[in-house]
Amino acid sequence: MRKYADLAMIGIKEHTAYAGSLWANFLAKIVYLYMQYALWTGLFSSNTGKNIPLSQDETIRYIIVATLLSAFMECDVIAWINGQIQSGDVANQLIRPLDYKFMIFAKHIGTSVARFVIYTVPLGIVISIFYPVRLFCREQLLYGILSIILAYMIQFLYSVIIGLMAFWLIVTWPLNMLLAAIYKLLSGAWIPAAMFPEFLTVINLILPFRAIYAIPVTILTSPMSFASICENLLVQLIWVAVLFITSEAVWIVGKNKLIVQGG
Amino acid sequence: MSIEVNNLTKIYRLKRGQKKLAVDNISFTIPDGEIVGFIGPNGAGKSTTIKMMTGILVPDNGSVSIDGLNFKKNRKEIMLKTGVVFGQKSVLCWDIPVIDSLKLFRDMYRVPKDVFKENMDAFSQILGLDEFINHPPRLLSLGQRMKADLAASLIYNPDILFLDEPTIGIDVLSKERIRQFIKNINEDRHTTIILTTHDVSDIESLCEKMIIIDKGSLIYDGTLPQLKSIYKTTDLEEIIKKIYLAGEQRNAKIC
Repeated sequence: MRKYADLAMIGIKEHTAYAGSLWANFLAKIVYLYMQYALWTGLFSSNTGKNIPLSQDETIRYIIVATLLSAFMECDVIAWINGQIQSGDVANQLIRPLDYKFMIFAKHIGTSVARFVIYTVPLGIVISIFYPVRLFCREQLLYGILSIILAYMIQFLYSVIIGLMAFWLIVTWPLNMLLAAIYKLLSGAWIPAAMFPEFLTVINLILPFRAIYAIPVTILTSPMSFASICENLLVQLIWVAVLFITSEAVWIVGKNKLIVQGG
Repeated sequence: MSIEVNNLTKIYRLKRGQKKLAVDNISFTIPDGEIVGFIGPNGAGKSTTIKMMTGILVPDNGSVSIDGLNFKKNRKEIMLKTGVVFGQKSVLCWDIPVIDSLKLFRDMYRVPKDVFKENMDAFSQILGLDEFINHPPRLLSLGQRMKADLAASLIYNPDILFLDEPTIGIDVLSKERIRQFIKNINEDRHTTIILTTHDVSDIESLCEKMIIIDKGSLIYDGTLPQLKSIYKTTDLEEIIKKIYLAGEQRNAKIC
């Protein structure tokens, strides 16, 4: 266990190595949140809200919680893996007596802890000062946390799979750029998934994205029946299993394709 | 630990169905506790062979066996006993102090506390590690980084050490110290060392045995004095030049 704690510690230290970037990141999140707030308030005041399934209050709570979650869930796993494969530094990981994915995961957790303390907590404080409402459904908080843990794993496994595509593509950022837009939209990080038109909702049912933000944020912010909570958690569990098996397969096949350039 | 390489082959598949034979049916044995120089011109397939011997690349044919263990079955076991230093790639985390990377390796390879301390003292004495142990690698000079990398790969007392151009870009005095250090490690711990280098004096001062490969094939496998007696000169650089040149000419004829 100690070695994973060390890796998590390294994740924390690496993330906090450059103080200037932390401030810039934090300010960017405040600006983003304000922009979202202004946008939705504007939208709701120009339209009486009759076509929108969520109320103004629900929407803004959703956006706030989604932003708080993404502040610590979104790490650079795709870029790490891609960079290591492209530069050949992955060789340094392959000679270790540990599983590559576990090493990355430990570092990812460390980074998330750092991000939680640096971004999510201060952001939460800022929000509680300027927009003092009850964000969470207290009765569903426990299920919400469970759902966040599952979402965290889905987000990680998804990133690993995309990152490992570098075995075939060498450079994954164009693929990532393409998928990032789909990811941000369908996961419900930008817009509450409940507002999607019919066909997007159908597409979303067969894709893992909504399990990352839409499900946990909805459980956290809007009251729902016990049955539908269980259903949502089950969907997340299935995606964890599917993505875990896929990532394992991609790793096994991809590793044999590895060419470590130069050196 | 001894290493046995049998009929090792690696083919790189390039675009449009082209293939490049990087390593062609190589076999050799490296006995326990020896320092072996592994040399060849640029693009000879040295690094590819080393990467297959360290389990990074999967060979297309043939096998690597380390004391009877192989990468398919005993991967973790082999990794716990193997140290690798790439002169052109650092194993250290770029932005965090060297000591944190060393502590990571201590826990990763389950090094007992007293062994860790003993090794740290030794590294500080010979390599001057204590001077820069609290700096991150990005602030170190190339020589310091190399010393830190050596320390990171030896902190867990590996039985086999792969050194891929460990003296590249290092000044004369530091080179001398690094060589002395490698020699001491081999004598004290009986570590098997495989050394690739383009620096002839590295080989002269360290290696008893030499393996030369060119165009993916084995050219020579024997001792240093033997090689000198074949070519009737003690100038190793001259011998190596001759061998490389002969390889080029052979290649030109085929084309």
